[in-house]
Amino acid sequence: MKKILFFVGFVFLTLPLFSQVTGTVFDEDNNTLPGVNVVIKGTTTGTVTNLNGKFSINVKKGDVLVFQYIGYQKQELTIESLTKAYNVTMVPDVVNMDEVVVMGYSNKTKTEVASAVSVVNADKLLDVTTDDVGTMLQGKVSGVQVVSESGQPGSGSQIRIRGISTIKPGNEEPLYVVDGIIGGSFDPNDVQSVTVLKDAGATGMYGARANKGVIIVTTKTGTTGKTQFNFKASVGMKTADQGNLKMMNGQQFYDWSSELYRDPETHEIDKIKFYQYYPRELASQNYDWVNNGFKPAMTQQYHLSASGRNDKFGYFVSGNYFNDKGTFRNTGYEKVNIRLNTEYHFNKWVSMKNNFNVYANRGSYYDYMDMYYTYLALPWDNPYNDDGTIKYIDGNTPGKWWSRDKINPFHTIENSDHNSKGFGLDYDFVLNVNITNWLSFSSSNRLSFSTDKSHDFVSPVAAGPFHDKGYIHERQNNWWGGITSNMLKFNFDLGKNSITGLAGIEINGGSNDYMWVEGKGLPEGFDVPSVASSELKIGGTSTLEYFNSLISQVNYNYDKRYFLTASFRADQTSNFPVDHNTAYFPSVAASWLVSNETFFKDNVSFMDMLKLRASYGVTGDPDIGASRFMGLFSLSSQYNNNPAAIPYQLANYNLTWERTNEFNLGIDMSFFQRISLTLDLYNNVTNDLIVLVAQPLSQGFEHRWENAGKVTNKGIELNLNAIAVKTNSFEWNIGFNFAKNSNILSGIENPFYSTVNGVSQIYRNDASIYTFILPKWLGVDPETGAPLWEKVNADGSKEPTSKYKEATPQEVGKALPDFVGGASTSLSWKGLTLYASAAYQYGNDIYNYTNRFMDNDGHEPYINAIVPKSDWKRWERPGDIATHPSMQNAELSTENSSRYLEDGSFIKIRNISLSYTLPKKWSSAIKMRNVVVSLRADNVYTWTNYWGQDPEVTLSKGDWSMPGVSDFKYPNNHQYVFNVNFNF
Amino acid sequence: MKTKNILQSVVLLFVLAVTSSCTKWDVAPRDQISTESLSETKDGIINVTNGVYALFKNQVEFSGFIDDNNAYLRQYFQMSDFASDDIVCGQVTTDPLYYSFTYTHSPDQSNSRFFWYVSYKMISGTNTVIDIVENSGKIERTPEVNQILGENYFLRAFSEFSLLKFYANLPTVGNPDSDPGIILRTTANEPTKKARATVTESYNQVIADAKMAASLMNTSRGKEFASKAAAWALLSRVYLYLEDNANTIAYADSVINSGEFTIEPASSFPTYFPNAIASDETIFLIAYTQQDNRGKFGSIASMIYSDGNSGWGEEFASESLRKVMAEHLEDVRWKYIDTLYKDDGTVMTKNGIPIFYITKFSFQDGDPNLSSPVMFRISEMYLNRAEAYAKMGDEAKALADVNEIRKNRGLEGSLYTSVPSGKTLLDVVLEERRIELAFEGQRIFDLVRNHRDIIRKYWGYHIKGIQVPDIDPNNPPTGYPELVIPWNDPSVLYYIPADEILANDLCVQNP
Repeated sequence: MKKILFFVGFVFLTLPLFSQVTGTVFDEDNNTLPGVNVVIKGTTTGTVTNLNGKFSINVKKGDVLVFQYIGYQKQELTIESLTKAYNVTMVPDVVNMDEVVVMGYSNKTKTEVASAVSVVNADKLLDVTTDDVGTMLQGKVSGVQVVSESGQPGSGSQIRIRGISTIKPGNEEPLYVVDGIIGGSFDPNDVQSVTVLKDAGATGMYGARANKGVIIVTTKTGTTGKTQFNFKASVGMKTADQGNLKMMNGQQFYDWSSELYRDPETHEIDKIKFYQYYPRELASQNYDWVNNGFKPAMTQQYHLSASGRNDKFGYFVSGNYFNDKGTFRNTGYEKVNIRLNTEYHFNKWVSMKNNFNVYANRGSYYDYMDMYYTYLALPWDNPYNDDGTIKYIDGNTPGKWWSRDKINPFHTIENSDHNSKGFGLDYDFVLNVNITNWLSFSSSNRLSFSTDKSHDFVSPVAAGPFHDKGYIHERQNNWWGGITSNMLKFNFDLGKNSITGLAGIEINGGSNDYMWVEGKGLPEGFDVPSVASSELKIGGTSTLEYFNSLISQVNYNYDKRYFLTASFRADQTSNFPVDHNTAYFPSVAASWLVSNETFFKDNVSFMDMLKLRASYGVTGDPDIGASRFMGLFSLSSQYNNNPAAIPYQLANYNLTWERTNEFNLGIDMSFFQRISLTLDLYNNVTNDLIVLVAQPLSQGFEHRWENAGKVTNKGIELNLNAIAVKTNSFEWNIGFNFAKNSNILSGIENPFYSTVNGVSQIYRNDASIYTFILPKWLGVDPETGAPLWEKVNADGSKEPTSKYKEATPQEVGKALPDFVGGASTSLSWKGLTLYASAAYQYGNDIYNYTNRFMDNDGHEPYINAIVPKSDWKRWERPGDIATHPSMQNAELSTENSSRYLEDGSFIKIRNISLSYTLPKKWSSAIKMRNVVVSLRADNVYTWTNYWGQDPEVTLSKGDWSMPGVSDFKYPNNHQYVFNVNFNF
Repeated sequence: MKTKNILQSVVLLFVLAVTSSCTKWDVAPRDQISTESLSETKDGIINVTNGVYALFKNQVEFSGFIDDNNAYLRQYFQMSDFASDDIVCGQVTTDPLYYSFTYTHSPDQSNSRFFWYVSYKMISGTNTVIDIVENSGKIERTPEVNQILGENYFLRAFSEFSLLKFYANLPTVGNPDSDPGIILRTTANEPTKKARATVTESYNQVIADAKMAASLMNTSRGKEFASKAAAWALLSRVYLYLEDNANTIAYADSVINSGEFTIEPASSFPTYFPNAIASDETIFLIAYTQQDNRGKFGSIASMIYSDGNSGWGEEFASESLRKVMAEHLEDVRWKYIDTLYKDDGTVMTKNGIPIFYITKFSFQDGDPNLSSPVMFRISEMYLNRAEAYAKMGDEAKALADVNEIRKNRGLEGSLYTSVPSGKTLLDVVLEERRIELAFEGQRIFDLVRNHRDIIRKYWGYHIKGIQVPDIDPNNPPTGYPELVIPWNDPSVLYYIPADEILANDLCVQNP
């Protein structure tokens, strides 16, 4: 928008009264500042400062020049003399009302924004060393819940904006928009800012796809005249964060095992029998599998960029290399990203942008079973021979191997490989044409191509099912996508009335092809599909999706006091039946900038900004994948080498869009130029939820896609930033955010369930999404030591029972938190800054699925157990008040029940960093504009009662995962990084 | 650039945009076929029929993912034989297969839920074909089409019968006219919710379907597919369960007299199962090709056999079965029990239980995890007939049939001339049936339908809570409640899956 304004500003005005004045703009350090917008107040006439920060403009005496630049307060200058050369010094801004907020299809100044949006700029974003933008956002934006579910290098995080508004499986992540175009790729180091659009007033422009919120990413462009270089290096160490999960050592497990021999009559441990099978020397055999499976690992990141601009041409070019070793054996991730952003102004009418982003990555991943065995192998077994070589173990290996399964995971890891390679390219072409001074045309286009290949290999040397055979599985995926948005934008400034707007059409399509091959019978030492000699299999298919949209928006403001934005979008997708494939998404947002009213300015001095906002709109969610409405037979199978068609999906030709009606009320305040406060209230109702409605299994189908019921997300969000102390050399900032969301289902005809690994969640009216329904655990019968569950009789009376099958499944908790948020603080003294941030979550429950194994009652006597919590007690004799049943009387005690459902609340110190900006004289001595060194610790500490790996548990519904259910995961990392950043 | 040119280019871009928006909106998947288009080709109904066979062996997505453990036939064999006295449990496990040993079933257990689900998925496939052939009018009724139609009737009968065995009282147990049987789904557009038919009604449906199948199938597609003889064999077995002796004999006769099948002789019986497809013993099997090798995590063999790496090898031939066979070590059926020895010549144990691996599901193409499980074979027809004769009191004919089997199993020297003392004629027939059909998913039902208790007075982890030192190899276990399960114990039945009851409140749960 800035650029458009700038060119629109070039209006021919050469009336005799005018004469040219010149001047120079400086920043706070007295460096010249190129690229500053200079506009004559009340007109669209303007210019920008050149490479040397100089400007010249035709003015008449008495005109007021307005100087605007991102990150600086607006300056005004009244022209008193037409011959004088003016010097203007820009002052950095804390609460900059004219800061441009990137909103996707259009940009707005903060003043104009009438909806709930949050902006996070690069400096705030890059306080964590990661390749994932989600991790960077954690705890920084109110209403945004970020879960780093895995510490696997290269893995992303899960982002949920304002709760969960859809319950179908599949993509639940917000929509990403990179540089104004839906989709795209980027390296976090190239990001200028991230805007999170939270209410329909803002997301309405993305209509059908905006249900889950929108994250707008803007990459850097050249901003100043001189070519500027930035070099950044980060080198660090990380260790696995096992949370409260600690496995038993030899002695502890020996003591645990002895409980198996507690005599049911005498209630004493029958030591004669016990020692007979478990020799006493076991207690001192202490191999620490977890500590040997997870080792400290190194992470490094190097980033070099150059940028510059002049009147015609601006560019930003960067290269980034990221190398992240994993803490688990044989895992890691490497990525190279290259970006080239250019902007060229042919003349005052026409400009274009060409952006390229290219990335290549490769990662080494872990096999679930290898990690499973690393946690569960007994400390009495040692994976290494006496000579230091790695032991081969299988079912026929002589000698005792205590662990349940006859396998040495370290040997398997040594002799297998799971990796992937990816490559991707995005090319953006944007053409802007200023047709008249009020009308412009813009065409934004992107071509995307990405390919990735995964490789899973097990050597014939490895023990296990592929012994003597070997195994290879490779999968290749290709994505081609294209999008074009073409729109007309208008801009009328009629004194106090200002109207802007746009209308256009967007076409989006993509196809995905994949194929896989699998084979066995590999000669030792070879790991490509060509050498496989037996059980060769292939598979693959391709999918196609189209998406067409009409987009429009009108913005009106009166005297910078009253603002109104209305948008209307129509979307059509191939994912729904032809009769139901189009939907309309209107939205409207209004705001009142009270602080621009005269009465306010005259009477209120402590408050420098007050804005009231309201918005209402409709958004949708088409992410259900193709062809969900059709009755289908799957052909990806065979019988006796003949094609076979298997009943796959029940038809529903009435299937249509999920639509969310979003209502938002907000208030923005700023006091003493020091404290800023944003408060939002929202009520989002998603109708026609797309639900996989459970069918009686006797239909031959588990479920059918239907529109059923609705979900209401209500919430409050608070964002507070304050400069607590500010002197010339010392500054103390604090930030805090809080979001409470409640989630209620309604309009569901019959309650339905989702079950993974026997753990069930119920979907019923008046309950939250992801409500656990499980037999309720009542502890241990003090007389018998047997487990107790609750049985609810037909008349509603309750009684304890020791028979699992009599236990009544009840609602016992929910996976969604009551509130989430974060806090941060920074202390700066001269060049030194100490920064710390925290994230918190409260009120969610986690089903600790792995403790069914690690905290069993003798059901799995040969897998290692978790070190118990201090208040756990196993029943020994009648009268004991215990938490754990007698091993002699524990029938079905580890079956799914609320026994393993735990409070998942946590507070986490996300990071602490200490950075030092070298004094100017030192940095200029080495020809640097600016040098910053910093030391940073990420994921420092977590407070939680949850007894397992760290409490960041998945929120996605996947093949093996259920929201709020923890399984063995790649642990997150504690990370300690040293960074140095040179600007020159 | 002049304004006019700019405007022209803008218009041009819009035209481009609009023309390219004439997108094709009905995007069909590339690896799936819509139900509507199935009837448009003859291949459509053949492919769906093949799909029903494929469901016997496929690991089908269930509860959101594909679990290697879950395949119809794996559950078919495990849920029956692990509950019988033929197989002993060598290790406690969290795999629900363990509940078959301990009789601690729950409506939530995934193996049983999967079995129920896939059974009905098969039925749904058959109903689609039956509906298209009989009602769409688009398919000409050639002999080939009738064969396909007949196969679908057969497959529906087979699925219904298998469901009845696991989830309903056998017809000789309880009151078949009032006891709940299964939910009968016989058309392509069934109401979502439906109650269970009675046991009698359910068996009537099985018989009607199997008879229809027998009449339609006249151009066999090979032993990998259902045939007229397979339908007769099914009818013989169903009538045996109903104790309709005359019909049991009649349909066994039909198969035997067809001349297509001969009992595998003793010389080649030890290699019969890995090569069942090529044998005249086989009436119908489910073909597994190399690409169907389910490996350690999903094969039928992996639980009961391991070459050290190929499987879990946790369940073994029971002491009870071995005792019955101990009299005749020359019996070639011992070849399917593979003893694992230590270097000192004693039998290796796992958790205190001696390892006698079972190899009836191994060694097709030499692979320890690959086999094409036999669903019907000629020897069973002799044994069905023998049992019917025995129940009719015809000792000569019953023993003749039993001897027909023994002649081909290396026991030519030990043929029966009369019923040995201390045994009844039925004992003799059932003992032979037990040895011949061991591990083939029959034993548990043979016991229950003949009102015989399941007696497992041997060491194994069906006894809850025992530890290795509890096992005394020299003395049988005593005093544990799990050692005898009465034939009429309700825990013999599996529960109707919780998912069914929740979504179909007309369906009643088992006790």
